[in-house]
Amino acid sequence: MSRSKGMPASLVEPPTFWSKWGWIGWVVVLALAFAFPYLVDRPRFWLPNIGVKSLWLGIIAMSLVFLNRYVGLLSLAQMTIAGIAAYGVGYFTVTLGLPGPVAIALALLAGTVAGFLVALIAARTKAIYFLMITLALGQVFYSWASQAIEVTNARRGLAPIPRTEPFTDISMFYWAVLACAVICFLLCRYVAKSSFGLALEGIRDSPERMAALGYRVNRYRIAAITFAAFIASVGGIILVFDRAQVDPDVVSLSSTLDILVVAVIGGIGSLGGVFVGAIILTLLDNFAQDFTDRYMTLTGIVFILVLLFAPAGIAGIGKQVKRAVDRARSKRSEADESPQQEPPAEQPTGEAITKGKQQ
Amino acid sequence: MKLNKTKGLVPAIAIGATVLLAATACSPTSGGGDGGGGGGGGESDTIKIGVMATSEGNLAFGMGEAKAAIGVAMEAIGGTVDGGEINGKTIEIIYAGTDGTSGSAQTQVKKLVENEGVDIVFGPVSGDEGEAVVQYALTVPEVTFVNGSASPVGMTLEGAENFFRFHGDSAMWMGGLGAYAFDEKGYQNVYSIAEDYSFPYDNAGGFFSEFCEAGGNVTGNSWVPVGTTDYATIIASIPAETDAIYVGLGGADAASFLSQAVTSGLNKPLIGGSIAVDTTALSGDANIASAAVGTITGGPVPGAGYDNPEWQPFVDAYLTQPDAFPAPSIFSILYYVSFESLLLGLEDSQADLSDNHAALREALASTSWDSPTGKITMDDNRQAIVDNFLIEVVEGADGALTQQNISQATGVKQGTIVYDRFEGCP
Repeated sequence: MSRSKGMPASLVEPPTFWSKWGWIGWVVVLALAFAFPYLVDRPRFWLPNIGVKSLWLGIIAMSLVFLNRYVGLLSLAQMTIAGIAAYGVGYFTVTLGLPGPVAIALALLAGTVAGFLVALIAARTKAIYFLMITLALGQVFYSWASQAIEVTNARRGLAPIPRTEPFTDISMFYWAVLACAVICFLLCRYVAKSSFGLALEGIRDSPERMAALGYRVNRYRIAAITFAAFIASVGGIILVFDRAQVDPDVVSLSSTLDILVVAVIGGIGSLGGVFVGAIILTLLDNFAQDFTDRYMTLTGIVFILVLLFAPAGIAGIGKQVKRAVDRARSKRSEADESPQQEPPAEQPTGEAITKGKQQ
Repeated sequence: MKLNKTKGLVPAIAIGATVLLAATACSPTSGGGDGGGGGGGGESDTIKIGVMATSEGNLAFGMGEAKAAIGVAMEAIGGTVDGGEINGKTIEIIYAGTDGTSGSAQTQVKKLVENEGVDIVFGPVSGDEGEAVVQYALTVPEVTFVNGSASPVGMTLEGAENFFRFHGDSAMWMGGLGAYAFDEKGYQNVYSIAEDYSFPYDNAGGFFSEFCEAGGNVTGNSWVPVGTTDYATIIASIPAETDAIYVGLGGADAASFLSQAVTSGLNKPLIGGSIAVDTTALSGDANIASAAVGTITGGPVPGAGYDNPEWQPFVDAYLTQPDAFPAPSIFSILYYVSFESLLLGLEDSQADLSDNHAALREALASTSWDSPTGKITMDDNRQAIVDNFLIEVVEGADGALTQQNISQATGVKQGTIVYDRFEGCP
């Protein structure tokens, strides 16, 4: 559990450069993200294909990372939940003709309720069983969406789903999406730091002990999965307005795996790192085939390289570099007989996936 | 101990931002302007054509077939698969691979138009991609779109005035077969088994609308999920008064059905959808082959015995292309007639792309030429009026099964119905 109160001063980690000045980095990153439309030569390409897509991929992947990091559950239903929200927007606007804001609110509700239902089914399971159940539920929805012609219009999907003023301007849309991403990130951080989040971490680390303390473990898990579904639904709603249509490909296995790849490349233990993973995936999607005809193979190679050399994802590279520097320093200081203790490693991806921090 | 888990994150995001900015700096900046298509535009001496085709997934061979088709058309005017010259203007061809999904098509078409600045988009392959590309075409009226091989009916009914299709849709591929089945074969009652997605809806809709109009009846419809392997229940429930069975299945599904039809003693003649009788069925075991003999079907690809003088020169030119198949596939045929139509339009308009491609679009809208698969003219929706082929599976002298041309429907026009799943007659 994350806590600092009551710790002896000797156990409090001395402030490092990044912990002291990291906020400057955040400001620079946010400023760069805000100025992105002015930094690129062809905004009509860069904003939708890279900017907006990276943000909604990142938001959906963030919901997966939230569940994995704070609850110890690896869910493959996050893209499905986002797809349910996307279908919600499509159904309420295209089929029922409801105004955009009403459709968005109902779609958010639909996605969140879908997450709640998934939680009711899957919350009692752990590790690989939770992963398999969420994957199975996703595939069930994919099959249903491919054939439910009265609701989803089957393979043809629902279209057109246009953006309304002022978001028809791509820059305005991008900034709105950026604001949503920042809010979702802050919301996840807030929930994680709240007493609810601390209880989740306790349940992640030792559900039996938390149950013995009187916590209703499954209710906490259901609440966390429902909250993550809300975040994923936000991503799904952005997705549908970005693509202007929704069809079964949105909830296909390939799309589900994209979210997992984004989370793993970015860092499956890092809420913000997913956006780096999303940027890398969208850049590969767009430019990998400029280098090779087998562009999906290139994406796979990048994935493997990240797993091999940065098991905690791109977000863990900073710590890896720091550890390497510390190691080099300790070797140089021969006079020091008690070498500096290595900082604890970021949770490797493989460990996070296989163990889910639950055991 | 206060756990600060963001320590490594900021430098990571800084790395990500650097990668992104480096990528934006390294990306092509052709065409200038503030975005949007029309990199060459009316004043440029270069016309950029962005070609979309599948290079990953189930239809990964689509790109090879597209290049073979474009190679045939470009070599005929002294160019290559990468470009050439028309009326003093340089033609530059840029290829973008997709995986056959709508999401992949959206990404690549936006990249071609907004980043590469192409004037003309040519493609895509699959129906799912086609529906997405048409929706995008509506948002960029300054770019001209020519379809590759996507065949959903609705694509040319969306009102995109910059979108042209020079081959039939999947309902038109059944053109003439319904009347042939009723009048020539004498089938009055037909049972339908088809896969449950948009292509079979249109394909079966095209057949049954004509069949029912001729006086035929539908004794039942079974819409099955793609990948169905057990047809025993359906076969057992086919009414006795059924004269023939319409099989709107493809690939392994069609092979499974044919196999079970034989083992269950089903002795009704078959009517195939456009993808029911392919090499999977024809090269299958003897039981499957025996069930396939006598099957009639329709589609844009002529069978053996087709005597159009334009056909053999096309086949010969196709076979000289690198990585060509032993015979042109449906994709290379559709890509060829579409790309050749585009080149003819560029020649007719003196490659003039000024005034939002007005001259080119007028030339494309009035296309009329004798293609290897028959005469192509255009309707008011910029959809081709084409010939369609009726084919029967026959056993050759060596025992091998072949598709024999039995009839040709000329001047097949597009209807106005986008078919959904239907019961009885559509």
